[in-house]
Amino acid sequence: MANKQTYWKGEDELLRTKDFLASQKNEFHEALPLDEVLSENNLGLSANRRDFLKFFGFSIAAVSLAACNKTPIINVVPYLVKPEEITPGVANYYNSTCGACSAGCGVTVKTREGRPIKVDGNINSPVSGGGLCATGQASILSLYDTERLAGPQKLKDKTSSLVEWSAIDADITKQLTAINASGGRIAIVSGTLHSPSTLGVISDFTAKYTNTKHITYDTIGYGGIISANLTSFGKQVIPSYNFDKANVVVSFGADFLGTWISPVEFTKAWASKRKVDSLNKESKIIKTIQFESNLSLTGSNADYRFPMKSSMEAIYITSLYNAIAQKAGVAQLPMVKSGELAGSAIKQSAEALWNEKGNSLVISGSNDARVQTVINGINLLLNNYGTTIDLDNHSNQFKGIDADFVQFATDLNNGGYKAVIFYNTNPVYNSPMSEMIVAGIKKAELSVSFASNADETALECQYIAPDSHYLESWNDSEPKAGLFQLTQPTISPVFKTRQAQESLLTWAGLATKPLVDPFANKTILTQKAEASIYYLYIKNKWAMMGVNSDATFNQALHDGVYKINAKPATTPAFSANLNAIVADLDKITINANAVDLVLYQNVSIKDGSMSNNPWLQETPDPISKVTWDNYVSLPKALAEKEKIANGDLVDVTVGSKSIKGLPVFIQPGQSNMTVGLALGYGRKGKIGEKGEFEAIGKNAFPFVTYSNGNYNYVTNGVKITKAEGNYELAQTQTHFSIEGRDLVRETTFNEIKENPKAGNDKMVPHLYTLWETKDYKKDGAPNHHWAMSIDLNTCTGCSACVVSCNIENNVPVVGRAEVRRRREMHWLRIDRYFSFSNVNKVNYEADLFIKKDYESEKITKEKGLEAIDNIESKKADKATYDHWENVQVVHQPMMCQHCGQAPCETVCPVLATTHSTEGLNQMTYNRCIGTKYCANNCPYKVRRFNWFRYNDNDQFDFHFNNDLGKMVINPDVTVRTRGVMEKCSMCVQNIQAVKTKAKRERRIIKDGEVKTACQRACPAGAIVFGDVNDQNSEIHKLFMNERSYRVLEELNTQTAVKYLVKVRDTETAKKA
Amino acid sequence: MPFFSHKLMVRNRNNYNMQVKSLFVAFLLILSLNMFAQAPGKPLSAEGIKGESLFKLNCASCHAMNAKLVGPALQDVHLRRSEDWLLKWIKNNEKLRASGDKDAIAVYNENGKAAMNIFENLSDDQIKSIIGYIKEWTPPVKVGPVVGDPAEADSGFFSSSTLYILLFLIVILMVVLLILRRTKGQLQTTVNEVDGISVIEPTEPTAAQKRNAELKKRSNPTIVKLSIGTVVALSLALYGYKFGATEIGVQQGYAPEQPINFSHKIHAGEYKIDCKYCHSTVEKSKQASVPSVNTCMNCHKGVQAREKYNGEISPEIKKIYAAMDYDPDKPNGQQFGANPKPIKWIRVHNLPDHAYFNHSMHVKGVGLTCQTCHGPVQAMPVIQQYATLQMGWCINCHRERNIDVENNPYYEKLHAKIKAEKDNKSSNYSKYYTKDGKINVSAAQNGALECSKCHY
Repeated sequence: MANKQTYWKGEDELLRTKDFLASQKNEFHEALPLDEVLSENNLGLSANRRDFLKFFGFSIAAVSLAACNKTPIINVVPYLVKPEEITPGVANYYNSTCGACSAGCGVTVKTREGRPIKVDGNINSPVSGGGLCATGQASILSLYDTERLAGPQKLKDKTSSLVEWSAIDADITKQLTAINASGGRIAIVSGTLHSPSTLGVISDFTAKYTNTKHITYDTIGYGGIISANLTSFGKQVIPSYNFDKANVVVSFGADFLGTWISPVEFTKAWASKRKVDSLNKESKIIKTIQFESNLSLTGSNADYRFPMKSSMEAIYITSLYNAIAQKAGVAQLPMVKSGELAGSAIKQSAEALWNEKGNSLVISGSNDARVQTVINGINLLLNNYGTTIDLDNHSNQFKGIDADFVQFATDLNNGGYKAVIFYNTNPVYNSPMSEMIVAGIKKAELSVSFASNADETALECQYIAPDSHYLESWNDSEPKAGLFQLTQPTISPVFKTRQAQESLLTWAGLATKPLVDPFANKTILTQKAEASIYYLYIKNKWAMMGVNSDATFNQALHDGVYKINAKPATTPAFSANLNAIVADLDKITINANAVDLVLYQNVSIKDGSMSNNPWLQETPDPISKVTWDNYVSLPKALAEKEKIANGDLVDVTVGSKSIKGLPVFIQPGQSNMTVGLALGYGRKGKIGEKGEFEAIGKNAFPFVTYSNGNYNYVTNGVKITKAEGNYELAQTQTHFSIEGRDLVRETTFNEIKENPKAGNDKMVPHLYTLWETKDYKKDGAPNHHWAMSIDLNTCTGCSACVVSCNIENNVPVVGRAEVRRRREMHWLRIDRYFSFSNVNKVNYEADLFIKKDYESEKITKEKGLEAIDNIESKKADKATYDHWENVQVVHQPMMCQHCGQAPCETVCPVLATTHSTEGLNQMTYNRCIGTKYCANNCPYKVRRFNWFRYNDNDQFDFHFNNDLGKMVINPDVTVRTRGVMEKCSMCVQNIQAVKTKAKRERRIIKDGEVKTACQRACPAGAIVFGDVNDQNSEIHKLFMNERSYRVLEELNTQTAVKYLVKVRDTETAKKA
Repeated sequence: MPFFSHKLMVRNRNNYNMQVKSLFVAFLLILSLNMFAQAPGKPLSAEGIKGESLFKLNCASCHAMNAKLVGPALQDVHLRRSEDWLLKWIKNNEKLRASGDKDAIAVYNENGKAAMNIFENLSDDQIKSIIGYIKEWTPPVKVGPVVGDPAEADSGFFSSSTLYILLFLIVILMVVLLILRRTKGQLQTTVNEVDGISVIEPTEPTAAQKRNAELKKRSNPTIVKLSIGTVVALSLALYGYKFGATEIGVQQGYAPEQPINFSHKIHAGEYKIDCKYCHSTVEKSKQASVPSVNTCMNCHKGVQAREKYNGEISPEIKKIYAAMDYDPDKPNGQQFGANPKPIKWIRVHNLPDHAYFNHSMHVKGVGLTCQTCHGPVQAMPVIQQYATLQMGWCINCHRERNIDVENNPYYEKLHAKIKAEKDNKSSNYSKYYTKDGKINVSAAQNGALECSKCHY
C-alpha cells in the first residue's frame, strides 16, 4: 500500500528546486576547501621536496616534544567536615518549584556534590505532572551564567560598581524613609507573584512604607481573560482549564500546548485524552480544532486546523456563539458582520462542540476582554463550567492587569512615584511603553532593580540588588488555589546575591530572626540561626495557614507539594451584557485587504527573559526549525505576490514603528494575509558568536499595541517592504532529505476503531542480510534488551526532550554559524514533516517529470538544470498558493535507533562502535579516529561529529568554555573531544547506575526504574523506555502494539526504537 | 658524519684505531651488564604465567613468596605440604580445619588465627597452576625501592626501561661501528693509493670468495638495503608500540610524597582498622573517597602519639589539627577553628576521564577485597599504585572472575537459562559449567567486556 500522503520537510524538497536537486547530488554540503588549503603559501604542495621534508621533520619533532610532558599531579581535597547527606559520587534529589516562568511547575533537582546539574518535573506536582518544558529544563544554566552580577551594584551613567550590601541597605532605607515621610509614593513592580510569603513580605513592606503600591506586570499578559471573568462572573482570575475532561477543544489562536498559560500542565492533560489503545465504538479522544494565523505547536497537533486572519477573530467567535445559540435555542448576538471560514469551519466546530456539551472547551488566545467575554458566553452555553473550566479552584499563574501597568507607566512618567522597585520584570525591554518608563525612572528619586543580570531595566536604575537564582532560594508558591509548593535552595549562592524578599524585609527593618520556632513554640536552636530569615518567615506564614508541625512542613518540603482540599467546581452566574459588548466589537474596522501582524512566543525562548541561554537559542523552533534568530514568517501566497524569497531581508512597518532588516522565512501553514513575528528576541547577550555582545534577532515588543484596557498582539495593517540584502537563517530542517521514504505513518481515529492495525498495514519487506544474523537474546545473557517506544500520537514536538538530552549528555552548543554548516550536535532531534491537507488540488508530478529524470540520472546535470530553469520560469505565473496555508504536520523525535543489525558497526575500521548484548549500539569515544564512515552509513543520520573541542575553544563562547558554565556538566558522561563521533547512548549512564544498584541490592530491576533524559522531560509521556525481554514491562506491551512500527523497516536494521502510528480524529481518510 | 681532510686522517690514523677499539670494549662491557641485568630466574612456562596472574589476582593481597604478609611466605610451600592438602586448604580452609586436620589448625594458630579467604570459585586446575607458579618462582636479583617520584618508581638500575635504553644504545653503537669500519676500510685504500702502495690482488679467488661474488651478482643491492631498512624500521615501530602500550601513562608503583605522612601500615596493618571505616562510601558510591578530616578527628582528638615524640604531639597529627584549625589544648572549647585549610592529598589511583569505574559495584556487588586491586595496602607505609590500572588488567579480571549467578537474584533469568542448558544437555553446557558440574560463568560471559560497560 502506498503512502496516503506525500510528506516533505521544506519548501525546497517539495518543489524540488534547482538548488535542492543540485545539492542532493553532492556528497558534501560545502565544497571541500581544498583550493584554499593548497593555495596557502607556507603549507602549499608547491613547496619542493626539501621543504616538505623540513616540515615533515619539524612536525614529527614538535609532536614528540609536545607529547613529552610529565604526568600531571592530581589532587584530592576531601571535605573537612562532610555533610551527612552528601556521598561523593552519588546524586541527591530535592523537590522544588521552577522559577523560569510564573506557571510554577514542580521540579525535582538533581545535585552532585552540592551543585545542581539537572532539573526535571516533579511527579507529585499537578502543574508539571512529572514533565518540564524546554525553558524550564534550560533554566539551570542561568544559575551558572557568567553574566550574573557578583553582588549589589550602584549605577552611574549605566556603569555599575560593586558595593557592599550594608552600604546599599543603608542608602536605600534612608531614602525610602525620607520619601515615605514626605508622602511620596513608592512602587513595587513585579511579574506575577503567587507566593503567599512573598506577598506577605510585600504587605509587611507596605505596612512600614504606607505609600507603597504593588503593580503586577506580566510580559505576555492574560489581562483579557482576567478582566472578562470579572465582568462575567465577578471573579478577577484565570480559571483552571481541565483538558483531561474535554472531548473536544476549539481554540482561537491559543497555543496551549506550546506557550499559553501553563503548557506543561495542558500538554499532560491533553495527551492523557489522546490514548488510542484498546478502543471500542464509544471511545473518544480529545478532538482538537485550532483557528489561527501562525502555525503554532498546537495548530501542528490539531485534528483540524483552520487558518484565519487573527484580526477577524471576534467575528468568527461571535459567529460560533450564534451557531451554538441556534442549537441551544437561545437568542443570538446582534453582530452585523459575520464570517465563515472555508470548509464551513465554524458550523462544523459548533456541531462538534454541541455534541459534547458539558465536555467541551472553547478558548482564545486573544487578550481583548470583550472577545474573552464572548468566549465565556460560549462555554456557558455549552455547560462547560464545573467540568472543563473550574473557576472555584482557579489559577494564580498570571495576575497582571494591563490597565494597572499602563496607569503606573503614565504616573511614573508624570513624576507620580518618588521610588520604584523592579522585581522579576524587565519593562524597559519588553514593554511597548519602554521609552516612557525610561524617562519615568529618571524622574524618580530612588530606583532599584532586583535583576540578577544587568538587564535593560536594571541599567536605568540607581541600584541593583541582585536576587538569587531560584535554585539558591527559599520560597513558596500557590500556582493554583489550594495547591501550595515549596522552593528550596539546592546550592549556596554562587555570587554575593540576596533574595529579593530578604532585601525588602531588610529595608523595612523587619529582617530580625524570630526567636521562637513557629511550629513547636521552641526556642530556635543555635544551628538554626544559620537558616535564612526568609526561611523562618515562610515557616511563620505556613503556621498561619494551618501547617503547624515540623513533620507536615518537612513532608511538604520532601514532596514539594502541599494540597488543601479542592472546592467543588460550580457553574457561576453570568452577569455580562453580551449584546452591548458585541455591539462594541462590531464597531472595530478591519481592512480585509491589509496584512495582519501576529506576534507570538517561540516555544523555547518564550518572552525572552532567558534569551542569553545558548541551549534555548540552539533549540530549533518546532515548526520552522530555525535557530538563533527571529524572522518574519510569511505565507507563500504573499511571498509570491511581493516577490520575496526565503532569506530576503524586509522592513516591517506598523504605523510609525518600524523594524528594518528582518529575515524572511516562508512558512507553510501561515495564513494568507498574515505574517508572524516572534517576541523575546533582540536582547544583547554575551552569547554572540565571538564572545561579543551582540543582539540575537530583533526586538518585536514595540509592535505590541494597547487598546481598550488590554495589550494586543495582533495588528491589522502591517507593511512589509523588501530591503536590500540577504540573510541565511540557521535552520536544521533541510539538512537531510526524505527521498520519498515511508518514515511517518498516520491514520484516522475512525479507522483505528475498526482496525487497530490501520495505517500500519504495510507489507513487511523481504529481509535479506549480508551479515550473519546474531540473536542477542540467544547468544548472550538473557538479562536485558533495552528499547524505546515513541508515540507519534501524543508527541507534540515541544522540544523539551531535546534540551533535556543536551543537559544530561553534555552536548555542546555550536552556534549559529556552525548550524548553518549542518554541524549541530543534538543527539536527539525532532523531525517535522509537512503534508498538504488536500493533496489532490495540485498535481506537481506532471510538471516535474524532468526533475525526476534528473534525479534518476537519466539526463545530464547541465541539461537537467537548464530544463528545470525553464519550468520554474513558466510555473511562477500559473500556480496559486492558497493551499500552502493548509498543511498538516507530524513531529517525529529521531535519535540513534540502536539497530540490532547496525549499518554503522560494520563500517567502523577501528571497532569504535559495537553492539552490546543488551541491545545497545555502543559508541566508544576513546577508540574513535573520526573517519565518519559510520555517519555516512547511518540511514537515520543521527551521528554527530565533533569538529572542534567545544569545551575549551573560545570561538564557542557559550557556557562550555568557562569554569562557571562547566559546573553544569554531568560528571557521569564523558566530555567528548575534537575528532570523534558521538550519538545517543540511550542514557547508558543511567542504565548502568540502576544495574549496579540492583546487583548491589541483590534484586531484579523494576520496570520503569531506568529512565532516559528525554523520557523524564516529556510532559506528554510519549516516550517509554525499558527492557523488552521483560514480558510484563510496558515497553514489551508497546512493542507488541498493533500501531508500533520501525522506521526504514525494509533495511532490516532491527532497531530498538519503535514508533506508534499517529492518529488524527478527522472524519475521513484521504485516499491518494 | 664530519668530513676529514686526507692529511688529518693520515696523521691521526693510530688515534682513530684506538677510539674504535675503546668503543668496542665499551660495547662489550654494556653487553655484559645487560646479560647481568637479565639474570633473575628462569622465564616462566606458559602454565607458570597463568598461575602468576591467578596468584596476583587471588593470593598476592595476603601472601608474598619470601616474606610474611598477612599470611605466611609461600616459597617452597609445595615441598612443605602435599598437593592434595593444598587443594583442600585453598578451596575451603574452614572445612579442613573443622575436619580436625592438625596441620591446618597449626597453620591457623601460627598466623594469629586470621582465617584465610575461601576460594571455592577456583577450579582444581587453577589451583594447580598457582602451585606450579610457586614451584617455578625464583627470587629476583634486586627489587627496586618504591618511594618517591613516579619516574623513580622503577629506580632499580636494571629495570626493564633501562634495559630497553641499553639495547637501543647497543644497536646504535653497532651501526656506528659498522660505519666506522667501512670508513676505515675506504680510508685505508685511499691512504694506500696516496702512499703508492698497491694492494696486491689475489690471483685466484678462493671458493668462498667465489660464492660471495656469485651471491652479490644475483642479489639486487637496493632490495637488500630496503629489506634491511624495513626490518630495522619495523623493529623500531614494534618497540615504540610496546613502549606506548606498556609505559606511557602507566603509573604502577607511583607513591608520591603526601602532605601528611599517613601510613596505611600503621592504621590498616598494625591497628587493623577496617578499610571501610575511613573509606566509608566504598559500598555506596562509585568513589571510595578519601575520608573527610573529621573522620581522622574521631580518633586523633585522643590519639596524639606523644609517647613517640618526647611528650610532644606527633608532627603529622599536628597537620590534621592545622587543617581543622583545632586547638588540642582546649579540647572542650570551640570544636573546630575558624580558619580551616583543607588537605590537598595527591591522588594515586587515577583513571582517565573516559573510563568509568564504580567501587560499590566491585566491593558490594561482587564482594572483592580492597587488596585485590590495591595490593597489600596494610603493609604499605606510603600508599602506592599496586596494579597497572591498564585496560588489559581490568579485562583480565573480567575474564577470570565468575559472577554469582546462583545467589544474586539479579541474575535470576540467566540462572534459569543455565539450569535449562543442563537439563536439555545442550551443547552450551561446557560454556557455563565446570567439568565437575558446577556453574562457572565469568563476568565476560555476561557482557562485562563490552565497551559501554565502562566507557560512556
